[in-house]
Amino acid sequence: MKCKISFLLFLGLFSFSLSAQETKTITGTITDTRNVPLPGAELKVVDKDTYTVTDFDGNFSLEASVGDQIRITYLGFQSQTFSVTNDDVYTLALQDQTSELDEVVVVGYGNQKRSDITGAIVSVDSEEITKQPATTAIQSVQGKVAGVNIIANDAPGSTPTVLMRGLGTAEGGRSPLYIVDGQPLSDIRSINPNDIESIDFLKGASYANIYGIRAANGVILITTKRGKSGKPVFSFESYYGAKTILNQVKMANADQYIQYFNEESAANDGFLLQENQRYDTDWYDELLQTGLINNNSFSVSGASDNIDYFLSYNLFEEKGILDGQKFRRGTIRSNNTYHLFNDNFRIIQNLNIAYTNETPKPFGAFSSAYRQSPLVPVRYDNGLFGQSFVNEATGIVTFESEPGQRVGRLNTHANPVSQVFFEDTYINTTSLQGQIAAELDITDDLMLTTRFAATKFYSTNHSFSDIRAQWLNADPRRSEATFDTERDDPNGDGIVSTEFANNSYSVSRTESYRWNVEGFLTYTKEIDKHNISATVGLSRENYQGGEFTSSQGYDVRPERNLRNFNLRTDRLFDDSVGGDTFQSTNLQSYFGRVEYNYDSRYYLRAVLRRDGTSDFVTGDDNFFGYFPAFSLGWTLTNESFMEDNGVLDNFKLFAGWGKLGNQAIPFNVQSINSGDGSRNTNYVFGPAQSLIIGAALGTPAIPLSWEVTEEFEVGFDFAMLNRRLSGTIDYYNRLNTNAILNVRPILNSEFSSNFFDEAAEISNSGFEFLVNWRDQIGSDFSYNIGVNFSTNENRVQNVKPAYDGAIGGSLGNGRITKRLAEGQPIFAWWMYEADGVWQTQEEIDNNTSLGNARPGHLRYVDQNEDGVIDDRDKKYFGSYIPTYNYGVNIGANYKSFDLSVSGFGVGGNKVYNGLYNTRIGGENISAEQFNKRWTGPGSTNVNPGAERDVEASSYYLEDGSYFRINNITLGYTLPELSNFINSARVYVTLQNPFMFTKYTGFTPELNQNGDPTGTTGIELSAYPNTRSFILGANFKL
Amino acid sequence: MNKTLKHIILTLFAGFMLVNCDNFVEEVEVVDPVAEDSDDFEPVDFLTGVYGMHTDFSYAFSYLGMTDMISDNSDKGSSPTDTGTDKRELDNLNHTTSSVSVRAMWTQWYKTIGRARQAIELTELYEGPTSAPKERIIAEAKFLRALNYFWLVRSFGDVPIQSVDLVERAPVEEVYAYIEQDLTEAIADLPLKNDYASSDIGRATKGSAQGLLAKVYLYQGKWQQAADMANNLITSNQYDLEPDYATIWRESTENGPESVFEIQARGEIPQHGVQQYSQTQGARGPSGWGWGFNSPSQNLEDAFNAEGDAIRRDATIIFAGETLWDGRVVSTSVENPRYSEKAYSSANAGQSDGDKNIRVLRFAEILLIRAEALNELGQSAAALTPLNRVRSRVNLPAITTTDQAQLRRAIWKERRLELAMEHDRWFDLIRTGQAKEAMAADGKTFIEGKHELFPIPNDQLVQTPSMRQNPGW
Repeated sequence: MKCKISFLLFLGLFSFSLSAQETKTITGTITDTRNVPLPGAELKVVDKDTYTVTDFDGNFSLEASVGDQIRITYLGFQSQTFSVTNDDVYTLALQDQTSELDEVVVVGYGNQKRSDITGAIVSVDSEEITKQPATTAIQSVQGKVAGVNIIANDAPGSTPTVLMRGLGTAEGGRSPLYIVDGQPLSDIRSINPNDIESIDFLKGASYANIYGIRAANGVILITTKRGKSGKPVFSFESYYGAKTILNQVKMANADQYIQYFNEESAANDGFLLQENQRYDTDWYDELLQTGLINNNSFSVSGASDNIDYFLSYNLFEEKGILDGQKFRRGTIRSNNTYHLFNDNFRIIQNLNIAYTNETPKPFGAFSSAYRQSPLVPVRYDNGLFGQSFVNEATGIVTFESEPGQRVGRLNTHANPVSQVFFEDTYINTTSLQGQIAAELDITDDLMLTTRFAATKFYSTNHSFSDIRAQWLNADPRRSEATFDTERDDPNGDGIVSTEFANNSYSVSRTESYRWNVEGFLTYTKEIDKHNISATVGLSRENYQGGEFTSSQGYDVRPERNLRNFNLRTDRLFDDSVGGDTFQSTNLQSYFGRVEYNYDSRYYLRAVLRRDGTSDFVTGDDNFFGYFPAFSLGWTLTNESFMEDNGVLDNFKLFAGWGKLGNQAIPFNVQSINSGDGSRNTNYVFGPAQSLIIGAALGTPAIPLSWEVTEEFEVGFDFAMLNRRLSGTIDYYNRLNTNAILNVRPILNSEFSSNFFDEAAEISNSGFEFLVNWRDQIGSDFSYNIGVNFSTNENRVQNVKPAYDGAIGGSLGNGRITKRLAEGQPIFAWWMYEADGVWQTQEEIDNNTSLGNARPGHLRYVDQNEDGVIDDRDKKYFGSYIPTYNYGVNIGANYKSFDLSVSGFGVGGNKVYNGLYNTRIGGENISAEQFNKRWTGPGSTNVNPGAERDVEASSYYLEDGSYFRINNITLGYTLPELSNFINSARVYVTLQNPFMFTKYTGFTPELNQNGDPTGTTGIELSAYPNTRSFILGANFKL
Repeated sequence: MNKTLKHIILTLFAGFMLVNCDNFVEEVEVVDPVAEDSDDFEPVDFLTGVYGMHTDFSYAFSYLGMTDMISDNSDKGSSPTDTGTDKRELDNLNHTTSSVSVRAMWTQWYKTIGRARQAIELTELYEGPTSAPKERIIAEAKFLRALNYFWLVRSFGDVPIQSVDLVERAPVEEVYAYIEQDLTEAIADLPLKNDYASSDIGRATKGSAQGLLAKVYLYQGKWQQAADMANNLITSNQYDLEPDYATIWRESTENGPESVFEIQARGEIPQHGVQQYSQTQGARGPSGWGWGFNSPSQNLEDAFNAEGDAIRRDATIIFAGETLWDGRVVSTSVENPRYSEKAYSSANAGQSDGDKNIRVLRFAEILLIRAEALNELGQSAAALTPLNRVRSRVNLPAITTTDQAQLRRAIWKERRLELAMEHDRWFDLIRTGQAKEAMAADGKTFIEGKHELFPIPNDQLVQTPSMRQNPGW
């Protein structure tokens, strides 16, 4: 780089002096090394405004003078410069840049050539990211990186969950560490995908370990775009798309619902519904709309003698499939590099401003739409929202009744449309990220880098609740007058419940900041065949600091722009204010790295990181930890005995070992439990039984340390058949040596609150395969096929005695579905094994059954054959974590057309159909479940009847494997439009057009927040997958 | 290299040196997560926390299942489909090692014992002045600890002594010895009921500890000690029977002359009582105010009728269609035919925090303990005095038999009727060996060698696999 720039500088001066020369027309052809013509290659006369682009056949014609330097650039090829001589015709072949061996990989505090990497690092470039439009770049690479399981969430403004090489922690932080141009990032959503040059996934410990105490969940390095030498490039990218639900479940209609309800009710001696009722609401049709996605990006970049520049603006907007659900993000990025003192000193400046506006809507509406009865109208005739009222005397679903008739409820669920309607929240965020770095070449071999980076984040959440309207809508028999009476303090005690405020309005603000400063020296030297590179440095970081304030008031004006605590319609209620400050964490780190290779054959690499964090200061200096790593490599194809072997172009074996930390762990704090009111630390004494406040000690705090993961990997990179086939195959084995569990005290011990302790090991192991095939047939057609496949075995082992058995996966109805146990995947499914359906009472009487079994209920297996069905009969049924992931990416180019198809899938996992299982009574069911239900002895021995129990069982646990075509893109690059527009490509993209799954719910891709103890893997209030149709165009000027 | 460049380099190196020290990590102030040294609390607060444990919901539901519903005195109640998690199983003697009620009480009692130990230790270590005498605080905590161990040992047999070992189950004799020691020490340091300041009404008294110790002796068949200890209480002149049996579980007699120990509850705001105790047992359905659990059985009603014991029957049972003493009309269409009147709170009927003081020990029981112990000692004639004192209150004819076996039966029956729905029946059935016969009469199958004890909860065994399970489970 350095040499190139100074060379250009020199040439520029030179050519300037010769600019008075006469011009002539030169012509020629630009090809690749296989003599395939390159259409669209750019030729530019250095330091002049003259340039041209090759046509379909790679031919060009250009006005130039003898002595002019002409620079040829073409994406994917190394640029080349030639001098105009007296010849008029030039044929030049550009070197393929796809010799990915020379590609530079960002490895943290430095770069390495791809050919020198001795570990599993996967790089994804900008082209692949922008091909799959999404809010975040991480979602765009789903299915492209072996060993990285990205669980997408199609809700507007959501962040996908990333699991690199499995889930290694139960209670600790699960997010990978994101580093953008050396700056740690809190929220990946603040980065515009169009600004990204490349993403490098540091999967293996021997590379990730340079980030020490925060690297256990993997490290994702993002490099943003910078200006490239050549003429300024203006780039416009724009796309527009529509989103619909991918996999809508057909629910039972009104008649089916009535029949189902009556079967259930009859079994419980309840009232029956009348046939032929007025409404037949399809709640999903009422709830869902077509979402819209729209993105416009603009960037300008280039480089002049002393400065590289890149400036971009992006506006991304998405409307979700719920009414009013929106997410909008704008980003402005400015990346500049100043080359000073003959490029011996460089100042790098990056600035990113991201702001978002969001109006979220409750995902609970999806569950309500599943459960609410089709007999309930969206709105009654009087305009109020329909509710599940039913006249039990007539069996008609209405709130109206004659005297003496009881009006009850079909179920306890909300009207999903009203849930969405009454949610009135908007969230604004602003994120400012700035970085300034300096690189100084002290000698030819020694470089000093220092960086300072800071991020400031603001978020404001405005939430308005129209209490009066919700109160009136909750029961159509209520009147405004009653509400007003309640506001007049009818019992005269001076207290009016906020239940009768007209509305409530709350505003909360969060402000946070982080900064890091680091410096490191890099020494690079080639001595004969010995290549050595060493890095040593230190860094300080301060993060997690910030503050939070919130205020809530009542009876404000309802108009959005007049919502203000000072403009109130009434002052019956007190405001409340709250706030908190977040203690920041200081992180102090030292790192050193030595890389050595002999003749590009034998590689040796050693890394040591020492991290100390203020989160673990407990008196003595046990808050520092060492994280070492080693890796070795051997490139066999560079050995003389492998030369001209005719098959293998590249073959490198590598192996690595390292230690990684996870400091995002929960802490124990001993508290004294005490407080006023009715609680079990208080008691009443004395003649008036006065309430006396007492106290009890909470569980003593056990000091904890960060989780330490040890990882070993071994694998090989290969390329063969003229590099048409290449790939990486590796094996990894990572072990969290001191996984922290949430431990329930032993039942008969003194303390009752749970505590955290280092209590188990969690291992993740598996194979990763990444294979690419690329070929060119004739001059017009080229294609590539990439396949990746990875396996993961997740196990909890060596659990401390009595610490086993933490439960999770609560369905919210008192039933749980997961349990942590030694020898099982982390928080494995744990429930009864369903085995058929009780057909008759006689059958129940003669067999072991659950206490309340009735015909039509599921039968559960008495695993221990003790004649009783209880917790000991619950069985482990694997995990929601897939045991394998795979992706297929196919690309083809024919003349100006390009086509790409990508798909990915997971398998070996199970998901829980919580929507189907969790019924209290009166909920709707899917049409399929209706049709296959038990209706009497002999009807089915698989599916329960309308009257069934609520136990969690394997019946509701379904195969979670799926394969999704997640992108089909067809593009067309227009022939040269004009001298002004250099290149233009239009494309059409189908996102998620097809999903193949046996799962009967909406989506088997159940992200939630990724918490293994929670509802991850359980479909309850989950946002469904969506399908998009996108039209887009890119222009380059 | 020009001057500017030199300057820049120097600045950079200065920056480099700045980041070079460890104490950056220590600049953040860290709060010590150990709260034990807090100055805001004194020992008596932790004692209050021990008493407070007895106001938990488990005493309003799980406890009822393990003491009443399981017995012949009452049924699960409520609607047929509402199983009350495992209450139907308990009612039908189908409970298992994973029955939640059993687990709940096992845990509740041990956690209470834990709090009592903390209160004792914190009091012993406390150096400042205390608002109550240290000895008394410790004695009260010991009484509560003994009470909870007693509930444990009679339910589970051999149980671990928490401060000794969490896994090894101490033999019943050792557990009783531990209880006796706590109670003996408590008796020495606890004031007499009437010696407490009025603001301390509700605390454990010397009489509470004596009464419990008498009962503990009774359970062990230590007849002489039981008779003597009961007599200590009877002759302390602190206690007497309430004249009207119908009022003994009403608010008007709370902490009255008959009260030996009761769990306190306050009905006025700020309310605090055993969570939902009156609600879970309240009438269910039209005009109802509760969940309808723990419904007195036909068997119990028959037992009252057979004795001609209308006073205690009507004071114990709310019948569907009845108009209660406070004027409340119970509809004939409530879900169950009978509800426990002893659980009924007039002022706070269906509220979570009721005003119902739960009578744990009352004078009538002490009289019956003395009667039973004397009879077992062969002093049957002497036994008649305390027995008939209890009977005469409810206008029943005096028992005259001095046949030890007959009198034993009579005393057992008297205990059933006098203490019906007071959470004692099941243990009396076990203790006296009547369980199989009585449960058969109630249509339930009592398995000998198994049902005498509750199972150690499965969750406990998951945590401590080497702990022994009870026979038959």
